[in-house]
Amino acid sequence: MTINDHIMITAKNLTKVYSGTTVLDITDLLIPVGESFGLVGNNGAGKTTFFRLILDLIRPQTGLVTSKEKNVAGREDWKNYTGSYLDRNFLIDYLTPEEYFEFNGRIHGLSKEDIAQFMESMMDFFNDEVLGKKKFIRDLSRGNQQKIGVAAALMADPEVLILDEPFNSLDPSSQIRLKNMLNKLKKEKQVTMMISSHDLNHVTEVCDRIAILEKGIIVKDLKTTESTLKELQSYFAV
Amino acid sequence: MKRSNIWQRNLAANIGIGFLVILLLFYLLLIGLFLDPVLRDLFPDREPASVFNSILLYYFMFDLFIRYMMQGLPTFDIESFLHLPVKRSSVVHFMMFRSGLNLLNFLPMLVFVPFALTGLAAVYSSLQVFGWILSMIFLIFMNNFIATYLKRQLVSKAWITGLAGLALIVIAVLDGFGFIKLTNISGLIFDNLAKQPLLCLIPFVLMGLAYLLQYFFLLARMYPEEIIRRKTYDVSDIPRIKYLESMGLTGDLIMLEMKLWWRHKRTKSMIYLLPLFVLYGFFFYPMPQYKNQWGFLVFVGIFMSGGLMMNYLNYAFGYESNYFDGILTRKIDMSRYIRAKMTIGMLICTFCYFITIPYVFFGWHILFINTVTYLFNIGFLSFLLLFMATYNKMRMDLSKSSSFNYQGVSAMNWLVLLPAFLLPVIIFLPFSLLGMKYVGLSIIGLIGISGFLFRKYWIRQITGSFFARKYIMAEGFRGN
Repeated sequence: MTINDHIMITAKNLTKVYSGTTVLDITDLLIPVGESFGLVGNNGAGKTTFFRLILDLIRPQTGLVTSKEKNVAGREDWKNYTGSYLDRNFLIDYLTPEEYFEFNGRIHGLSKEDIAQFMESMMDFFNDEVLGKKKFIRDLSRGNQQKIGVAAALMADPEVLILDEPFNSLDPSSQIRLKNMLNKLKKEKQVTMMISSHDLNHVTEVCDRIAILEKGIIVKDLKTTESTLKELQSYFAV
Repeated sequence: MKRSNIWQRNLAANIGIGFLVILLLFYLLLIGLFLDPVLRDLFPDREPASVFNSILLYYFMFDLFIRYMMQGLPTFDIESFLHLPVKRSSVVHFMMFRSGLNLLNFLPMLVFVPFALTGLAAVYSSLQVFGWILSMIFLIFMNNFIATYLKRQLVSKAWITGLAGLALIVIAVLDGFGFIKLTNISGLIFDNLAKQPLLCLIPFVLMGLAYLLQYFFLLARMYPEEIIRRKTYDVSDIPRIKYLESMGLTGDLIMLEMKLWWRHKRTKSMIYLLPLFVLYGFFFYPMPQYKNQWGFLVFVGIFMSGGLMMNYLNYAFGYESNYFDGILTRKIDMSRYIRAKMTIGMLICTFCYFITIPYVFFGWHILFINTVTYLFNIGFLSFLLLFMATYNKMRMDLSKSSSFNYQGVSAMNWLVLLPAFLLPVIIFLPFSLLGMKYVGLSIIGLIGISGFLFRKYWIRQITGSFFARKYIMAEGFRGN
């Protein structure tokens, strides 16, 4: 087994420039298989830009992102094992939640039973507010839309999970449920996760490793320990 | 943080659009200036002023219809005023004032005023001309307020729109055949408005009433949720289609597209427009002057079976702006995604073609023309349109727009397509001049068939262009 077998995602000399301003500049980042990687930073730090680069939604100025040792740009194979939810641009909002899960499940080759079972497994997380409401996604609240997007990312057992601020606009119970779900995935299925968050508590509870992004540069890269939360809090204190 | 600047990015497009707007204004002005001699030429035994007056009633009905379809509700940002210390009545007046600034209220003036100063001035005194112009202004603004009022009352009843449009056409046709004489009534009304300047008080009062009607209507419904009525849709509107499900990804994508079309006002109104595209032939086939204008009939054929397909394929990706990122990151084989779009376009085209078959009533040559143009549409135009669609990066937010909202549609896009529409006519004309009409038509058909046979090649080209352009498209569709 070479060292590369342990690496899921890498970013090398990755930069993105908008109108002359460098908004992201990551020289070398390795994410091992099964690691849960947290990304924190203030608005405009480049978190979403980084995630969009990983998902090949924008073109990097220089450098590349690899997934399982292959450049993600222009390729489609990483889509088979990567679940993601960044924002509402991922939701097909004129479908009902059921139709959306069915569409997502079918493109991943899940059977009707698989899809039904998946929705069943999300019952707690949805808290009776999502399924069977006879409403389109566009008519649901932000929090429920967020739940649908995150849940869809978990469909079809992804090996890599990329979530941009998944705790946003969730109510407290849902935040805790999501946290438990992510921790379970980490423990039982060794899913590689990349999660950004504005909530320092949540991210320290879910992630083994936390990086602070500031103006596009990773200024700190910490293994999560008992003192990490304090360290993060003091970093962001004004 | 500064991301790319929208104005900068679209500078070329904006210059193009600006140029087109100036061109449009110029044309309208030209029409206004030369309407008098043109009408004198067309109706030598009547005064241009009376001819013009006799069609004005139609103009205002048509104007109301167009406004009802196109004019947006000026209420979307009402929420940002409600919490400010401003009197509610002032907010309503402001909203209505802003709706009055619509370009549609000023464009007609470019025709009316020059014509009044030429055609009308030939018959009436300057005071009378002035009264007539005032009447026109009042009636235009009356329409403005009535249209927005109607729109709020009948939010998104697409079939009412269709019915009203159809009724207007039927009345006009009956008038043309002399069954009813709305033109006489129109002439009576507007001739008198011109004769007696003081009568312009009547349009003024009508405008005031329309204003008050809308004012009190809005004042009583100052909460946004009451003004912008959310239409509730039936979520089980589209049945499962077993056949599509058995097709796998392609079928799923087609199903998705059907839901998209059925569940948005804007696309739904396009479906109601279908008869307009297909009825096109009725305007031209019976007319003797087009009987032998085969080149023109070729154009009609292209338009009838291709019109709706063009509307779909030209914006095939733009329609999915709201979730394009989702499409790009999911396990969707992009060449099959492209093929699904192509299939839908061809199905629409085929459907329209079948509806036009009864036109064979006007002669076998019509059927022949429509068949070759149909082949040309699915074998050539369809691929070209989808290829061009990869160059369209305008965000189209279907969830926000009402029916007949043209946000996300650029004039440049259509200009580029014009040659494609004229190409079959250009191919046909030399053969027609040599007296080999059927040879020319057959060649158009053959181009279509051979294009269709090479569809794999075309799909590869389009997929290639899609991959090369997907970042630019996705950025445009995100709209930030």
